[in-house]
Amino acid sequence: MTTPLPQVAIPGQCLGSASKYTAGPGTHIQQSNIYASIAGPVILDPAQPNTQTKSTLRVSRTIPAKPHLASTSKLKDRYNTLPAVNSIVLARVTRVQKRQATVSILVVLDEDSLDPAQTSDNDNIASILTSAANPENHSTTDELRFQALIRKEDVRAVEKDRVVMDEMFRVGDIVRGSVISLGDQSFYYITTSRNDLGVVMARSEGGNMMFPVSWKEMRDPITNASELRKVARPY
Amino acid sequence: MLELPTIQDTMNDRRRINGPAEGTRPPVYASHLKSGGATDRAQRQREPTDLRKIFLKTGLIPSASGSSYLEFAPSSSLANARSNPKSLIPPSSALKLSCTVHGPKPLPRSAAFSPNLVLTTHVKYAPFAARKRKGHIRDASERDLGVHLETALRGAIIAERWPKSGIDLTITILEAEDDRWWADAPDLHDASWGMMNVLAGCITAASAAIADAHIDCLDLVSGGVAALVSDDSTEDSAAAPRLMLDADPAEHRSIMAACVVAYMPARDEITELWLKGESSKIALEKGDQRSAHEALIDGAVDAARGAHSVLSEAVRETMLRAVTPL
Repeated sequence: MTTPLPQVAIPGQCLGSASKYTAGPGTHIQQSNIYASIAGPVILDPAQPNTQTKSTLRVSRTIPAKPHLASTSKLKDRYNTLPAVNSIVLARVTRVQKRQATVSILVVLDEDSLDPAQTSDNDNIASILTSAANPENHSTTDELRFQALIRKEDVRAVEKDRVVMDEMFRVGDIVRGSVISLGDQSFYYITTSRNDLGVVMARSEGGNMMFPVSWKEMRDPITNASELRKVARPY
Repeated sequence: MLELPTIQDTMNDRRRINGPAEGTRPPVYASHLKSGGATDRAQRQREPTDLRKIFLKTGLIPSASGSSYLEFAPSSSLANARSNPKSLIPPSSALKLSCTVHGPKPLPRSAAFSPNLVLTTHVKYAPFAARKRKGHIRDASERDLGVHLETALRGAIIAERWPKSGIDLTITILEAEDDRWWADAPDLHDASWGMMNVLAGCITAASAAIADAHIDCLDLVSGGVAALVSDDSTEDSAAAPRLMLDADPAEHRSIMAACVVAYMPARDEITELWLKGESSKIALEKGDQRSAHEALIDGAVDAARGAHSVLSEAVRETMLRAVTPL
């Protein structure tokens, strides 16, 4: 039973025995064999040393772009990933109310795309963000994006009862958040109650891009006016 | 005295002179048929177990998350007719269709919570796809195809991996199979046989588009058709009907029964089965112990296996093209 693993798999292709590997994303188990569920390169994640766990077999959704071709290659397709609990998302604020803010999820960041050396799973994140921060693009594609709520008590970890939503988010801000629940029929639930979560991009009332000055303040470089936000820690 | 307009009249536009609603077809003269005889009729050149060649390619529509285009090779009679035309009407048509998958995307606001992927299928004939012109509104046969296609795919998709989201699958049929040879009058055994081939093509193309959109599925599901055909060319009407894989209705005088399956070879499972015709009364050739049903289903599964080899190659080819850029 030492059949070599195939480089790439197509749905329904048998990859190996379930007694030898653990089934990872992009695979399913049928009669104690692991089969591929999507088309893509087969990746074997080695097991943690000194444990009894088996190595994990998965089929990747991302196509590993060659480094020297990454900039020129237009073959990069946009593959959808769904927000899941604990996944980090970038979202744009569409509505701010007293008890909650409504956001629409622009992109789900997974482990691969957090590494800047690799191309992202979705479209180029930079291009998504630049187009999303542009007020002209608002509310045209919101129907096609997943909607989410940031409740007042999920904005920050301390002094939850003193939160004033208007001083945390404004419409059009780009927020990095973590999904806490799949929610109901229409909304996911997102939290920003961590230092690295919160507003990452915002425009001032004058319409200029602002830079963060503290965990709750951003400043307009042109008018020098400061505005209140729940700011994400810059990397 | 004022006559009340009938319902039919009120539906039509009476202010303008419109063309016939059904479209027109070139006349076929009996004298022409006599002189042409059986030579005009498309004859099956393939072996009973041979399939037509299939062209299948995925990822052709950039705005969709998954797409595919499928074409069946036209029968050899078409090439003959082109080189030596006896009539303006082509003797047979082949299948051409394109399939797009949009999504996964959020469900509409009014929809109830769904822990699974919601699959919506639309099958639409282009107005010029069949010999009889199709309207812009989906008719009963198109809705029927959509339902059959949805059943076929639902068994293959792992829906629980995509909660709260839906995909829209749209198939546009650019050229449809004929239901019979164009000069034949509808007879006793007539039914919309072309639809069976169209459905098989839809299933194969949809499966390729879903794989292209990277939606989790158990296996690539492919469609296959088999038919029991009695060609009375041998003047022996008592001859048992023969089983033909991937039967082109234009090439056969009389199709007794036909069957479409959607089949997953890796699991040896059928997700969709559609039988048409009076197969229970048909006796197969001597020595064949199977009932007509079993023979039809076995034949259709064999045809689906053939289509699956094309399907898996097409999916693999698209992926390899992405992994190793030119």
